[in-house]
Amino acid sequence: MDESQAVRSIVDSLRYVHPEVVLLLTACLQLLAAPFVGPRSGGSVRSLVAGLSVAALATAAWLWLNNSPPPLPGDWQGPFRLDELAWFIRGLTLASGIVLVLASWNQFAVDDTGECHACLLLILTGINLTAAANDLVGLFLALELVSIPTYVLLYCLRRTAAGQEAVLKYFLLSIFSSAVVLYGFSFLYGLAGTTNLEAIRAALLRSGDGPLPLIVAAALLAVVAGTSFRVTAVPFHFYAPDVFQGTHAAGAALLSIVPKLAGFVVLLRLVAVLPAGAGLTPGITLTEVLGLVLWWLAVITMTVGNVLALWQSNVRRLLAYSTVAHAGYLLVGLTVAQSHGGLAGGVEALLFYLVVYGFMTLGAFAVLIALGSAKRQIEAIDDLAGLARRNPGAALLLGLFLFSLTGLPPTAGFFGKFNLLVAAWSAGTPASQSLAVIMAVNAAIGAAYYLRIIAAMYLRPEPESPRIAKPELPALMGSLICAAATIALFVYPQWLWELVSRISA
Amino acid sequence: MSMLLPLLILLPLATALVVMLVPSASGRAARQISLWGTLATLLLALILAGQVVSSPGTGGSSGPVRPRIEFRGTWITFSWSDRGGEAAGREVGASEVGAREPAGSMPDREVRLEYYLGMDGISMLLVVLTALLTLSCVLVSWESIREQTSAFYACLLFLETGLLGAFCAFDVLLFYVFFEVTLIPLFFLIGIWGGPQRHFAAYKFFLYTLTGSLLTLVGLIALVLSAAGSDASLETPFSIPDLALRLSGEGALPPHVQLWIFLALSAGFVIKVPLFPFHTWLPLAHTEAPTAGSVILAGVLLKLGTYGFLRLCLPLLPDATWQLGVPLVATLSVIGIVYGALCSLAQQDIKKLVAYSSVSHLGFCMLGMFALNAEGISGSVLQMVNHGLSTGALFLLVGMVYDRYHTRMMNELGGLATQLPRLAALMVFMCLSSIGLPGLNGFVGELLSLIGMFKSQPLFAVVGATGIILGAWYLLTMLQRSFFGPLKIPQSHGPAAADINARELASVLPIALLCLWIGVYPKPVLDAIRPDVQAIARIYQDAGSAAPQTLMTQAQQPVVSHLEAE
Repeated sequence: MDESQAVRSIVDSLRYVHPEVVLLLTACLQLLAAPFVGPRSGGSVRSLVAGLSVAALATAAWLWLNNSPPPLPGDWQGPFRLDELAWFIRGLTLASGIVLVLASWNQFAVDDTGECHACLLLILTGINLTAAANDLVGLFLALELVSIPTYVLLYCLRRTAAGQEAVLKYFLLSIFSSAVVLYGFSFLYGLAGTTNLEAIRAALLRSGDGPLPLIVAAALLAVVAGTSFRVTAVPFHFYAPDVFQGTHAAGAALLSIVPKLAGFVVLLRLVAVLPAGAGLTPGITLTEVLGLVLWWLAVITMTVGNVLALWQSNVRRLLAYSTVAHAGYLLVGLTVAQSHGGLAGGVEALLFYLVVYGFMTLGAFAVLIALGSAKRQIEAIDDLAGLARRNPGAALLLGLFLFSLTGLPPTAGFFGKFNLLVAAWSAGTPASQSLAVIMAVNAAIGAAYYLRIIAAMYLRPEPESPRIAKPELPALMGSLICAAATIALFVYPQWLWELVSRISA
Repeated sequence: MSMLLPLLILLPLATALVVMLVPSASGRAARQISLWGTLATLLLALILAGQVVSSPGTGGSSGPVRPRIEFRGTWITFSWSDRGGEAAGREVGASEVGAREPAGSMPDREVRLEYYLGMDGISMLLVVLTALLTLSCVLVSWESIREQTSAFYACLLFLETGLLGAFCAFDVLLFYVFFEVTLIPLFFLIGIWGGPQRHFAAYKFFLYTLTGSLLTLVGLIALVLSAAGSDASLETPFSIPDLALRLSGEGALPPHVQLWIFLALSAGFVIKVPLFPFHTWLPLAHTEAPTAGSVILAGVLLKLGTYGFLRLCLPLLPDATWQLGVPLVATLSVIGIVYGALCSLAQQDIKKLVAYSSVSHLGFCMLGMFALNAEGISGSVLQMVNHGLSTGALFLLVGMVYDRYHTRMMNELGGLATQLPRLAALMVFMCLSSIGLPGLNGFVGELLSLIGMFKSQPLFAVVGATGIILGAWYLLTMLQRSFFGPLKIPQSHGPAAADINARELASVLPIALLCLWIGVYPKPVLDAIRPDVQAIARIYQDAGSAAPQTLMTQAQQPVVSHLEAE
């Protein structure tokens, strides 16, 4: 491949990443403009910058909507793989991006606002590229495009000692996990002699007659372990509560959805790479090993997340454990991803839940952001006491999201859990069916701590000096969008269900 | 397709949304809107009841569950693939099949989850009961609820939506959705407007029932998937009539599968009913709830459990019902009847006494149902309605007493009949109805339940019948201590309390009249449910010959028709 061909190939590829190009260019613009915004600039600068982000996201969404993916050959070996999954994740990223921008509209310091919004756009771009990457190198770079701006953003959001500790913790562990992922990638490259995911798959299939070398399992486990950090699977979750508590609510909102999106996309791509049923040594197949690991990961993650959340008194810390628990539910979908039987496959259920989870958890954080002020955030559950009387609208919204997280109708969270349970049960093995029962029990445990927040808002009297500020309008808008989605996806889930069914078909 | 059915469910919901928008300060507007909303709902329920009664029995299908009017719409279309079983095998065996390649050539078929509402005689009775009791609740809360009035009425109306929906749902999942939805408003009703221990009561109620019902959800999923997997022609595996048509006869699931599904489904239902060892949430929740909450809770909500058994377990899992349900549920019911009655006997708090009596009365209901013959099931359905009327009215009256004296303790009250003659008369009347005095509604229901059980398992019926005696004991003792004898009212209380007023009378009188009507002339009610009850009983009549230990094979001499002949 000579030079001009390479350039043409890159230009050709650009065509497929229009939405990301828009986001990147806007981020560059914001970064260029940022140094000229000083601490004395007026507050309208914030609205201008955030408005720019929203405009970019809207444009990207428009481009996304008008570019549904062309059918790809099964053995597509280009640098990007713009299949249904990539298209779907792109939509989800853009939607959660809009909510995130709305939620953090006024939350950044004036002189940081340009940098922060640019970082947010870069992170979103990173997720889109992660979903589209069809190459180990591209995948890793995309993942770092998610991570590095996250450090900056978290630092800018809260420069207190606690905030800095949180950033540092996140930074070190994130680097560590990236290294572990990279280590796994290097094994895969060594085995297949190529970094292209499709080519790796082909290589693994070619050696399918004899048993695969055990190192494949080691490589995959390394990638799973590294990714577990992002999706906050136990035992790689321990940073999450500290970071969520230490950082600003907007940062916690970001961390609750973005790394999970990236992580689950990587895991899904990885599972798709696997030649199902390929033997490692006689008697053990790759799928069995991975299935066993994921089963335990799912069970431990949801149980630990739910049980530890019971004792929390800080709202963000509690929600951190709740995101851990939900990562466990999502892992249930991944565990049964290889089965497509029955009503719902694991992949469909996982993706459906990812969307629902995104809306309900972002919505909950958006309400918390809206109720906090720059100086005083909502910290303890007690801060929310009596919210229903002071601000019934906000209480109703937060209550809706919490019931959805519990998985009660009439919210989308119910269908999310229902689909996962159906997928687990359809897989038909005793292991997967016991997973369904464990998940149901976990959902009941989860109800206890969500209910505590609801009880604080509705059943308890207001404290003497309420911590609740006048709600921020943009953040409230963001949570309204989430609320509408949470209800709509309960009443009319067909639309989303068709989308996710197309992906796994 | 009846458009009135969705309207029936949306009407209270819409009213609730309107009430929510009313500022809390103007409680008057909230009350008025709720009153009109619940009145309209009751009217609609009666119109629908009229349609059910006048419609000609079977509505198309011929299975054991036959809604006479229905409304169907698609909710989600799933594409069902039969690759599930292979995937499990594939992991062990074949090595070539990639995850991304379409495995197998089995054509996918579409299965639908539906908004399937319907009404048969059984659900018709419970719908009318719900609408009537909600109206009474609105009336009785008129003055006793002073705080956050609009929120209170909104919760009450949401609750009504959930209950009406659950009784009208003929789709498994839709039923479950409404079943679960009721938790949310009731949590707030107990937690915000309840008694001193309201927070704990609300928590316990919510978590206890949710835990059970999540296992029910797993059971439902297992049921639907097994049914759809075993019959490729089933396009609507969530529809109760379609499932019942297949699963009650030749196409029944393997018995061991049925047993597990039965246990999972029961987990939610036994807590809701509640059967004996799972009843601990009930006295607390009933006692702490505001009057309206207790009325709905006892009057209607508990019926979700019995209705769940009747709608799902009996027609869909015949073998498990027969082998596991009869010994297990009947034993627990009998224990519940006696235990609940003994607990009532020991109470000082009148409200708690009535609460424990629910455990006892619901035992009769379950006992009759698991007789699995037409008499027993008719008695059980009637008992659901009767208990709703009698206990609902008792809670209303106890609430009125509490509004006047701010105590419900028997040792602080006495001789109230001298001060409140009309309220006392109603109390005596409702107690007699609850005891099962011949000529009042309780008698018919309990008699039919016990006759049904006597025909299938005499021992249970004999033990259960002692509950009636105990019932008379604790209720009459309560009457004697607090309503007769020398006047005794709390010291702190002012001079005279006013007797029952027109609004309060309006909330209780319709219930009392219904009690009398059912007691004297139960034929129309029994007629309305007869086809539906017989359709379910027929499953077990046929199964009787296959099950050697049964007494079912004895001639089904319909006691129902004797009663009708009178």
